[in-house]
Amino acid sequence: MKKKVIGLIDGQSGNIGSINKAIKEIIKGKPYQLKIIRGEFDYSLFNKIILPGQGAYATLISNLKKLKIYKPLKTYLENNRSYLGICVGMQILSDQGHEDKTTRGLGIIAGEINKFKSKKLIIPHMGWNSIRLKKEDSIITNNLDNKDFYFVHSYIFQNIKKSNVLANTHYGKKFPSIIKKGNIYGVQFHPEKSHKYGLNLIKNYILKS
Amino acid sequence: MLKTRIIPCLDVIKNKVVKGVNFKNIKVMGNAVEMARYYSLSGADELCMLDINASYQNRKTFIKTVEAIAKVINIPLTVGGGVSGLDDITDLLNAGADKVSINSAAVKNPKLIRQASLKHGSQCIVVAIDGKRHENKMKVVVKGGREITKKDLIIWAKQVQSLGAGEILMTSMDTDGVQNGFDSSMLKKVTSNVSIPVIASGGVGSLEHFYLGHLTKSTGLLAASVFHSGKYKIKSVKKYLKNKGVSVRL
Repeated sequence: MKKKVIGLIDGQSGNIGSINKAIKEIIKGKPYQLKIIRGEFDYSLFNKIILPGQGAYATLISNLKKLKIYKPLKTYLENNRSYLGICVGMQILSDQGHEDKTTRGLGIIAGEINKFKSKKLIIPHMGWNSIRLKKEDSIITNNLDNKDFYFVHSYIFQNIKKSNVLANTHYGKKFPSIIKKGNIYGVQFHPEKSHKYGLNLIKNYILKS
Repeated sequence: MLKTRIIPCLDVIKNKVVKGVNFKNIKVMGNAVEMARYYSLSGADELCMLDINASYQNRKTFIKTVEAIAKVINIPLTVGGGVSGLDDITDLLNAGADKVSINSAAVKNPKLIRQASLKHGSQCIVVAIDGKRHENKMKVVVKGGREITKKDLIIWAKQVQSLGAGEILMTSMDTDGVQNGFDSSMLKKVTSNVSIPVIASGGVGSLEHFYLGHLTKSTGLLAASVFHSGKYKIKSVKKYLKNKGVSVRL
């Protein structure tokens, strides 16, 4: 049987060690293989692509362009191929990000990235917070509703269509913590740092979606 | 709702967790990798590990220990101790740390905070501040409290925030190691003057101390001895806090 190929993008935005380890554990003994993407790639060779990201939106976009990952990734996503974006890897799916300056995103899921506004909030939103499931899905089943995941971010996905939101989280206000359009997923938290429920989600994404 | 984080801290020499008062009577508490695995499984929200004897020789083994720990846990890992420049930060992140904590190197060269946060993102740069009262003023101290600097604690806390620190690990040298509770007045002073997360450190001896720490608006509560000695399990601290109305991850 031909193995399915999972691509893990190293966008030089935070380390990929934890997610790499998690994927390897999940696919052990199963018909999958993992390839790390560090430069230009043939998107048609991949069945799934995971992009973890930390730090700034503009930095990740410019790293992906510099590494020649941006174009094949955009084509892959425009073809509605399976993708999981983590933290900034989710945020860059939007039309644009407003950090120090405005940066154009991949434009796959309508919306934009803005800073948490309230002056009273401790920023970054750092630590464990629960998700409220809006819609059950193959990656996120009812038993993960109300469970805690590890967040660390100062920006949130806004002006998103309700139909693209699978789960919300509350910090000062409600914001989308899991989003989906077609075969493309994004999670604002770090499932690879979120103990058993986080691993559960990655497992569902790889084996069930 | 955001949960209050309970963070066990491992003081490490090479690959052993140790306990010692002011570097005297150092006692080995256990193997660092085994203890890290245990805490991750038993409900710690994050793990902190500090190289408390960062000599050139010990450093290599310490970095290997960081790598080994990163492989067996799936919660965030903060690593500090002996971080003197950008290269050290990169090495620790590459070894698997999620956040790196800088202390005296930042006091000596505050620009390091800006350089590090620009390079790696604020979210992974923690500034550890050691505070102590001196002539009725709260001051920044270094070298485990033995050297009092000219820096005012609150001015420094605000400065590290504006330089791009993502978090402050605040240890009071007036309460550290004594197990009489966190330094509530010092912590309140810091949390009310910054808008980044503050981890309270130094002085936990009882369950109530955790609750009092939470009341200072610190979002992380760090402890070592009460966990290493087996006096409290992480779960029992969380259950106690939950009964007090504090939101925790159980």
